Amino acid sequence: MDRLYFEDFPVGEVVEFGDRIVTAEEIVEFAREFDPQPFHLDEAAARESMAGGLIASGWHSAALMMRINCDEVFLRSSAQGSPGIESIDWLKPVRPGDRLSVRRMTLAARPSRSRPDIGVVEMRFELMNQNHEVVMRQQGSVFFGRRPNGEARK
Amino acid sequence: MIGLWYEDHEVGQTASLGAHRFTREAILDFARRFDPQPFHLDEAAAAKSIFGGLCASGWHTVSVSMRLLVDGRRAQRKALATDGEKPPPLGLGRGVRDLRWPAPVRPGDVIAFSLRVESLRETRRPDWGLIGMRIVGVNQDGREVCAYTLLGLAARRSA
Repeated sequence: MDRLYFEDFPVGEVVEFGDRIVTAEEIVEFAREFDPQPFHLDEAAARESMAGGLIASGWHSAALMMRINCDEVFLRSSAQGSPGIESIDWLKPVRPGDRLSVRRMTLAARPSRSRPDIGVVEMRFELMNQNHEVVMRQQGSVFFGRRPNGEARK
Repeated sequence: MIGLWYEDHEVGQTASLGAHRFTREAILDFARRFDPQPFHLDEAAAAKSIFGGLCASGWHTVSVSMRLLVDGRRAQRKALATDGEKPPPLGLGRGVRDLRWPAPVRPGDVIAFSLRVESLRETRRPDWGLIGMRIVGVNQDGREVCAYTLLGLAARRSA
């Protein structure tokens, strides 16, 4: 597959990808390590809470979306990290058995002023469940290397 | 120490969340699971990247800050229970604003995290308020490596 550069993310493009089922085991495993609150750890305790049942840590959702983005986009691109994320919204709970996918929108793109070999792409990522409901929305920028001179466009 | 109820918070309050050492093993383990980009996994590839060397996934850094925040609150809840007081119901996070990673976290770095209460807002639900907390991580050289505003619900005492 062709390598994706800054030039391959046209403004306005909307793409959907990814297919990842979340298990109760991995929700609890992440929570034990990074977010040990009862509604991420224990079904019975979670039922008593405002979550109404076991839900993934919001940071776990963010990490899972990152993994989907890596597998589907970043690892076959010239991605060079992110200067920052404008916003993350946890809109709906992620529960055991949910099947996650991502919708990516390119909002803006500009060459870096200080680094001529880098471009900044502003993207919105929406994490969706099996009912096509957006469970998390994230907006921010990603650095991509620019296509080297002479390399043919795909 | 900042209390756990919504009413215990005032804009401008600050608290230390403690520090965490990022080992090479933990950086690689997180990256393998969630962020397998070359600059988080492979020293040679990382040296050639914009980061100039291996560094932790930004999601790893923020996840560790969450752990420190939760640990502090768990200790407070335990202390309340020991005193025979009922701790407030736990609120969920709503989102994050203005998340930045101004400098990389390297293997062996010790990052000290702190928080500052940035905003307080009542919600339509009388039993919950929304608190904005700026969480900042600084490395052993005083360099900021991560900063974000966490928006989270906190139970109201008056409810």
